[in-house]
Amino acid sequence: MPFAVLIARNVWTRKVRSVLTGAAVAIGIMTVVALGVLTHSLRRTAISVLRTGSADFTVAQKGVSDVLNSAMDEGEIARIQQTPGVDSVVGVLVAAVQLDKDHPFFLELGIQPDQLEKFGVTVVDGRPYNADATDQVMLGFRAARDLHKSVGDTINIDGNDFRVVGIFSTGQVFGDSASMLPLTALQTYERKPGDVTLAFVKVKPGADVSIVRQAVERDNAELATVVTESEFGRIDRNLKLISAANVGISILALAIGAIGVMNTTAMSVFERTREFGVLRAVGWTRARVIGLVMGEAALISLGGAVAGIAMGFVAIRLIRSVPELVGVFQPDYPAAVFGRALGIAVGMAAIGALYPAIRAAVLAPLEALRHE
Amino acid sequence: MSSDAAVTPAVQVIDVVKLFDGGIVRALDGVSLEVAHREFVAVTGPSGCGKSTLLHLIAALDHPTSGRIVVNGRDLREAGNERYRRREVGLVFQLHHLLTHLSAIENVEIAMFSNGMSYRQQRERSRELLVAVGLEGKGHTAPPRLSGGERQRLALARALANRPALILADEPTGSLDSASVDRVLDLFRSIREQQGVTILLITHDAYVAGAADRIVRMRDGRIVSPDAGPADDAVPPRPAR
Repeated sequence: MPFAVLIARNVWTRKVRSVLTGAAVAIGIMTVVALGVLTHSLRRTAISVLRTGSADFTVAQKGVSDVLNSAMDEGEIARIQQTPGVDSVVGVLVAAVQLDKDHPFFLELGIQPDQLEKFGVTVVDGRPYNADATDQVMLGFRAARDLHKSVGDTINIDGNDFRVVGIFSTGQVFGDSASMLPLTALQTYERKPGDVTLAFVKVKPGADVSIVRQAVERDNAELATVVTESEFGRIDRNLKLISAANVGISILALAIGAIGVMNTTAMSVFERTREFGVLRAVGWTRARVIGLVMGEAALISLGGAVAGIAMGFVAIRLIRSVPELVGVFQPDYPAAVFGRALGIAVGMAAIGALYPAIRAAVLAPLEALRHE
Repeated sequence: MSSDAAVTPAVQVIDVVKLFDGGIVRALDGVSLEVAHREFVAVTGPSGCGKSTLLHLIAALDHPTSGRIVVNGRDLREAGNERYRRREVGLVFQLHHLLTHLSAIENVEIAMFSNGMSYRQQRERSRELLVAVGLEGKGHTAPPRLSGGERQRLALARALANRPALILADEPTGSLDSASVDRVLDLFRSIREQQGVTILLITHDAYVAGAADRIVRMRDGRIVSPDAGPADDAVPPRPAR
């Protein structure tokens, strides 16, 4: 009989207990998966704001609760431009509005028309808006397609009518799903005269990006530079907190699951004392006894993990229907989240079953055989 | 069997003392015993005389307080206990200690983990053993569905799984009816004849002891009679149960 079959038989023999323990593991794993996907997806949505333009790095105000609350004035933009190694700086004001119930998170990007090219924008239809226009807008081609708008149409954004003068492409999904309008017009509508949200920086050919970033941060103590997704927490405190909560809840799930597995395994080992005595009496090594107990716990945990992942998908569907998250939460299912869920399940088994397994292995065979 | 094996006793118990409860209980008090290869020896005596303790020490389930036990020329203090129990000795208990959630054939197979045989070979060996103990056709039956005699024969099959040279049986017929006792004893005798194993059987039942080649009598932790003579002369009629 293969060892794995014996493990499965032992787990199956105690069906109710195995299922209940697996259910506890499943709830923990469901939480880990749902929160992991939620955090990852929100981070991806947020980081996309930083990737609407082509740049070597992005600059924003440090430690704001939301990246859209970042504010930099023209003086700071000018100072960044003067930093050695900087080739160009494009200041962009970013605002989010609810267009309709299907588009609760529609981005408006305020940018000077003469900086569109530096920003990596290609006008694919029509023309750019005028710098001083207050009623002209360009739509990303994905937004135009989604909203069924073309050049010459009118679109109402946040109570104001705009004429679509052009369709653009940035090469970024998020940017191509947004709108662009003159910087001064958006600053007026948002009542943020002279302010931009983000600065997109390109360095001169041959310049070291990391050195330029250090120089920008040294000269502007209130600003932070971002390149990678993992650095996003430096400017967006909310997401940093959500990520921290995600890690905390994962640890909590691991602890609760491990305690559940330990409780079940310890009880099982106690009840099966004579069985372990028999196994030791017929020559089983301590390592094999440990392998048996750990294997049973691992099987229960992995079964719970599979159920938990399935429950996680259901939970994500429910979370998507939360009104505040419609349009903002576009679920993304990274392998890392599921890898972490499986890792936590294995951790639950390993942490929870180790002590009972050792207890089973060190039982004196004779005393175990006499156990009532 | 080599010539060395022929002259070296299968089991040598040399001046073994076993104390319990910090020396208050003297379970074995200087016991010495030799059992030859292929010999079928019954150790008998009243309850508490130390016969089960002696068997547990020979099975390496416990350690002597002093003295030595040598099995097939090897001192048990130097032998790896797990490997010894797996390879060289087969144990049969009064309560048979079968795993009730496994089938009969699986109960035999659990003794064969780590013995180097493939799963197919283990299954084949288990089938052979079930046939040998008269349990053909009951391989997939769980122990609770077997009779007492069948369970004990199954326990014997498990003890034989790894072809041990020594079978140690602790009151193997203690909970069986007369017919089952005779069948189990026949089995012990035939195994000894066919497989050449040495058998050391603990019993307080004179009828069972009578099936052995030699009877060793114990009292108060000592061997009072290392050879009570040919067993056949001493076999009392089997009392009806």
